[in-house]
Amino acid sequence: MSNTLRPYLAAVRSTLTAALTLENFSSQVVERHNKPEVEVRGSKEVLLNPLTISRNENERVLIEPSVNSIRLSIKIKQSDEIERIICHKFARFMMQRAESFIVLRRKPVPGYDISFLITNVHTETMLKHKMVDFIIHFMEEVDKEISEMKLSVNARARVVAESYLTAFNS
Amino acid sequence: MSAPEIHSLSATPITSHSFNGDRSQVAVSLNSNDVTIYSRQGKDWNVTETLSEHDKLITSIDWAPNSNRIVTASQDRNAYVWQETPDPQTGKLVWKPTLVLLRINRAATFVRWSPNEDKFAVATGARAIAVCSYDSENNWWVSRHLKKPIRSTVLSLDWHPNNVLLAAGSADMKARVFSAYIKDVDSRPPPSVWGERLPFNTVCGEYGSPSGGWVHAVGFSPSGDVLAFASHDSTISIVYPSGPVIYTIKLNSLPYVTLSWTSEDSLIAAGHDCQPIVFSGSAGGWHLVGTLDDTSAAKQSGGTRGFGVAGSQVGRLNSAAFHTFRQADSRGTSSPTSAAGSGSTDTELLTVHQNTITSIRPFSGTADRVAQVSTTGVDGRLVIWDVNNVTELTGKMGALRLH
Amino acid sequence: MDNFRKIDIDQFDEDVLLETELYEPYPLDPAQALDDAKQKAAAVRSSLSKGDIPGALGTILEGVPYGPNVEDAKTLTLQTLVTILNSTKSSDVSNIVKALSQDQQDTLMKYIYKGMGMPGWGDVSGSVLLGWHEKLTEAAGIGCIVRTLTDRRTV
Repeated sequence: MSNTLRPYLAAVRSTLTAALTLENFSSQVVERHNKPEVEVRGSKEVLLNPLTISRNENERVLIEPSVNSIRLSIKIKQSDEIERIICHKFARFMMQRAESFIVLRRKPVPGYDISFLITNVHTETMLKHKMVDFIIHFMEEVDKEISEMKLSVNARARVVAESYLTAFNS
Repeated sequence: MSAPEIHSLSATPITSHSFNGDRSQVAVSLNSNDVTIYSRQGKDWNVTETLSEHDKLITSIDWAPNSNRIVTASQDRNAYVWQETPDPQTGKLVWKPTLVLLRINRAATFVRWSPNEDKFAVATGARAIAVCSYDSENNWWVSRHLKKPIRSTVLSLDWHPNNVLLAAGSADMKARVFSAYIKDVDSRPPPSVWGERLPFNTVCGEYGSPSGGWVHAVGFSPSGDVLAFASHDSTISIVYPSGPVIYTIKLNSLPYVTLSWTSEDSLIAAGHDCQPIVFSGSAGGWHLVGTLDDTSAAKQSGGTRGFGVAGSQVGRLNSAAFHTFRQADSRGTSSPTSAAGSGSTDTELLTVHQNTITSIRPFSGTADRVAQVSTTGVDGRLVIWDVNNVTELTGKMGALRLH
Repeated sequence: MDNFRKIDIDQFDEDVLLETELYEPYPLDPAQALDDAKQKAAAVRSSLSKGDIPGALGTILEGVPYGPNVEDAKTLTLQTLVTILNSTKSSDVSNIVKALSQDQQDTLMKYIYKGMGMPGWGDVSGSVLLGWHEKLTEAAGIGCIVRTLTDRRTV
């Protein structure tokens, strides 16, 4: 299974590089407004085809591009109940602090665990290839984080159970 | 065969630039509501004036070389024509703005003076192009709209040398050629390959982009007989209207957003790939020749770098910022040996421009034999390239880093 | 009387570009498209039995059905293509994609993304598609992916 990780991340990297071709685009619908078109979804011609990159049914990335913004949603691998709970809490933790992340979206797109919203303002102030590196690194790290947290939860549960039950052992 | 002259004008993106007639001054929009005019002093470009009148981002600037007037268009639905007049009190030359009545209800995206500098055209988000001419009776600029059949925001314009025909590229995936003939301003143009007897708002040609991408840039060749357009599906199309014969070059790189003809058989395009690429051909076919940016040669710190430090600092600052967020976020027991963001060695791209090139214009030479072109981009740099300094594109393009 | 406040005024705007106006409509009608797809599937089966992968790809990647009405033809074409992709040896993939024309490469990229959008459907295998995606990006460049993003003729 892990031999598909490298081509999976390479595919996400190349699709993201292709989609991050953003430019400033003033709203056609409301005068003097400048909004991310992927969120407004008002004018069909400025939205591009959404693409999915998937490794298997449980791990997917959806990229929805437009002329001045893109939305990237990740479905993280969650194989059992503990991982599902940890993933949910972890994603919530990050999304509540979305301001500091700059590119994170406060609510995930339905069907996914976490979403990013990157606009032309971000690509103007930050380097595009570094943003792509950040997203790929995030995807690699999040899986490791969740496994680590699951191990520490199990370890703590064992320690608690042991110390509780030794009281009954004398 | 000289190396490109690199000037880092600012840390903010340069939305648009335009040189004056003798190339001693350049007017730029630094992603703000003001026009900043830089003057050449020795090898450096220094700020000499700031023109403030617009309320929102200035999207496009054009400086008429002969009549020395600047026209600016902004997202606040206005355009101003600036003229240098002596100030009554001090006697110095100051730039005085004149409001243009565009009568549009959306942002203006692009503006260009016509070749004779008696009209200019403004591309707007109101699905129209406003062609403005001077009404001397009332002492203001009045506009007439080219509306049908435009269905979406117009992204770019180019005038034909005969002062009447106008090419427009728009977000509805089409490039069109209109007639912008205004009765009192223009004399009847001679018949051309685009047609004859062309009243205002005649569509002389409508060409779609091959795989449905927004048309970012259009350009007539120096003679006006050929039209080229670059669209978001990473293609360049060259149209010979007499067939019509259309040559489409599908590219392996990211889309181009701006182009400029350098002679009747060659043009330079630039965009998200951060390097200017040369194409050449004739009525028999077109092909890609090479790039003006020699990414394999060692980058010397040649060229004035007035704010050069600021440019690379932006890169370093941002990788440090991401690192800080990652560490501040309680990511369990992640060790600080995470690989990415490893200092400044991989924040710089191999190309001269560090971010998308947004505008390319002829700098020196004649219209049909341009010798140098100037480019500005989102990285805040102004670079002047020698057109003949072409190198072959190697397999791995400099700016792309596919692991 | 108060309902005028709840009207969505934008849906009455006649000037708005509709999704369908953004591309040339597919020339064949649904029945013809399905027939065409079945014929191509048969041709591909015979090519595959002879081991002729480039020929099979060439057949299936020409005149692909796209657009809203021809769902059956699109599904059949996808199934046929996935069969071809699954039966190619991974060492041959690189050479095969290099031999395709630019239009064929663009169409193949569209199908790869369509397949990845339906993980677990039929024979779709994530690892096979990712392998093809990697080789195709190497051969056709990022421009191919950009064209998949912009081309409204969704297969």
